[in-house]
Amino acid sequence: MDKMELFSEISEAVKEMEDEDVEDLCEKSLEEGIDPTETIREGLIKGMSLVSELYETGEYFLPEVLTASFALNAGLDILKPHIKQEETGAQVKVVIGVVEGDTHDIGKNLVKIMCESVGFEVYDLGRDVPLDDFVNVAKEKNCDFICMSTLMTTTMGGMRTVIDKLKEQGIRDQFKVIIGGGPISQKFADEIGADGYSVDAAAAVKKMKELKGIA
Amino acid sequence: MPSIKDITTKKELQCESGTNLLTLLLENNVFVDNACNGKGTCGKCRIRLVEGELEISEEDEAKKLTEKERKEGIHLACLSLVKGDCVIQTNVASKKMNVLTDGYIPEFEKDVCEAGYGVAIDIGTTTIAMSMISMKTGEILSEEAGMNGQRLYGQDVLTRITYEIEQGQEAIDKLKEAVITSINEGIKAMCKELGISTEEVMSITVAGNCTMTHMLLGVDARSIGMAPYKPAFLQAQTVNAKEHGIECNKDATLYCLAQVSGFIGGDILAGAYVCDLLHSDKISLFLDIGTNGEMVVSKRGELYSCSCAAGPALEGMNITCGMPALPGAVEKVWVEDGKLCTATIAGEKPKGICGSGILEVVDELIKQEFIKKSGVFVKKKKIEESDWRYNYLVEDEGGPALKLSEGVLVTQKDVRQVQLAKGAILSGFLSLVKRAGITVEDIDEVIIAGQFGSHLSAQALAGVGIIPREVKEKVTYVGNTSKTGAYMALLSHKVKEEMEDLADKITYYELAEIDGYEQLFMECMRF
Repeated sequence: MDKMELFSEISEAVKEMEDEDVEDLCEKSLEEGIDPTETIREGLIKGMSLVSELYETGEYFLPEVLTASFALNAGLDILKPHIKQEETGAQVKVVIGVVEGDTHDIGKNLVKIMCESVGFEVYDLGRDVPLDDFVNVAKEKNCDFICMSTLMTTTMGGMRTVIDKLKEQGIRDQFKVIIGGGPISQKFADEIGADGYSVDAAAAVKKMKELKGIA
Repeated sequence: MPSIKDITTKKELQCESGTNLLTLLLENNVFVDNACNGKGTCGKCRIRLVEGELEISEEDEAKKLTEKERKEGIHLACLSLVKGDCVIQTNVASKKMNVLTDGYIPEFEKDVCEAGYGVAIDIGTTTIAMSMISMKTGEILSEEAGMNGQRLYGQDVLTRITYEIEQGQEAIDKLKEAVITSINEGIKAMCKELGISTEEVMSITVAGNCTMTHMLLGVDARSIGMAPYKPAFLQAQTVNAKEHGIECNKDATLYCLAQVSGFIGGDILAGAYVCDLLHSDKISLFLDIGTNGEMVVSKRGELYSCSCAAGPALEGMNITCGMPALPGAVEKVWVEDGKLCTATIAGEKPKGICGSGILEVVDELIKQEFIKKSGVFVKKKKIEESDWRYNYLVEDEGGPALKLSEGVLVTQKDVRQVQLAKGAILSGFLSLVKRAGITVEDIDEVIIAGQFGSHLSAQALAGVGIIPREVKEKVTYVGNTSKTGAYMALLSHKVKEEMEDLADKITYYELAEIDGYEQLFMECMRF
């Protein structure tokens, strides 16, 4: 099979949420000696960006995005072990989590999926994350972005605290802070001095690319 | 100093330039629907600017209002600052609502009591229902229902807890005062009707969710709003009612039912007691639907409970054409001669869709294959022009939508909101069933309690998939069991004791902590 044809089949299978097909096709790409990084970029990630487009137009919803991400991960599990180390170069790094006091993490998980699907390296701190952890991990891992989510109005204030902590330590400029979640608005983002707010997971990644100047 | 005239309430208010309009209106007791407490996210605090100017936060407003609305002078009060003199029109919702107060009352043995009156109260987040009762005979002499005055500070519990987080003790005091005022209004109205003095009210019992109980007693509720969602107390509370500001005899007691957890309160405990889930030889599921779907499964007396964040969609919020259950709200829809027909409250021209209506509508749209299992609208270009459905499919702000009647749309986003709500409740339902070690087929009855649930048909509940289709024929309605429980507790110490024991016997599960919950929730979003 032609390489381009194989990539397009992989993209299609991700979009159609067919994880077994994705696995078979990825195995096949290895058998045919195709560079796994190329398969990831041109097959899997392209497929996930199709999913992202469908999500933006309302054709897909949370269940489809999540199921498609299972297909994406099934493919990555097969291809990643075959990537030669030196090929993973400088990447956009993201620390993400649900702020302290909130255990609702479905929205955060979607943003994580979308970030991974464009090749960002994601450090997921999970839910009910102590506010200092955002700052510490961002520093340790030298992240580009700090992404915070919450579904509840009661815990929104934590986002402001994280930004204040960054300011106190004089490192606010080292990171871009992106926030999202049910009660969050642009107004709130402006108020607390976040760099970006996005209404959903697809828009979050767009915003991040925009801030990084990536097309 | 600028002056603001409101043509609805005929009030004229003065304030500094730069004052937030919503804050100004609320401080002066002009009621403005404001579910998110001024966060700019609910889009409900609409006012019309008739004359003059306001400083508007354009970008945020554009997200909640259409171009057309903005041209007509509609603005969101929370995103508007006073600039100079102006005339506005606030949209005041109806004061008195039809709140469900009747329901099934089981037989029980009442205490012997010589004289005096008692009041049984169900404090809901939105509404308060109460009865005046003869302590001697147990007869219900008068009933009152109205809005919970706390809604000035936000529609749902979380918004009110946020208010406490932001304003501390001052908020705790104001929330307490608001609910006490609403209770006193009801008590005074009933006393007046019966020709008695408030001095003759000797006893009061209250059933409410955990947050309402805290706020009534002036107890800090902040911890309920944050993981691990632990309330300050769970036990039943007995205090002096008069000292808490209730208009009654100086020795009257105020008794608040016990709570099971931060999200399963005295209202649900009352329901479990009234339906006698503990002594049932059946497998029952008790469900109270609101912003939170709270439920208790009884496996022949073994009790499991959980609470799911259904969100406000089922109450008509976050729905493009959502509106309260007032005249003109679509509450039924069906197909006749290849046409979609609607029935509205009071038979008026359709203006919007109420919470129960949105379920009826979505149920019908699924049946007519306007909406696919995944929740997506069928594509207009994929159906024939001769298909009767063709002309109902339209575009709204770039997304697919369905035109129910002139000016009343159901958008793709609305369907997604319903999916979130139904996914939350159904996944809670299935999680409890699994925890109890039973299957859906084993369930003997589904008991629907509460004001909102009583408006939902078994067909709509099962059709949309809030409950599994298999149990559609097993649905029964019990009405406001919260108030019934408060009534029974008022008249019997034995009932109080049994309720307190019952609270300890109900196991609570935090859904988010159950393994595989997210996957189940996603699956449950499909129709």
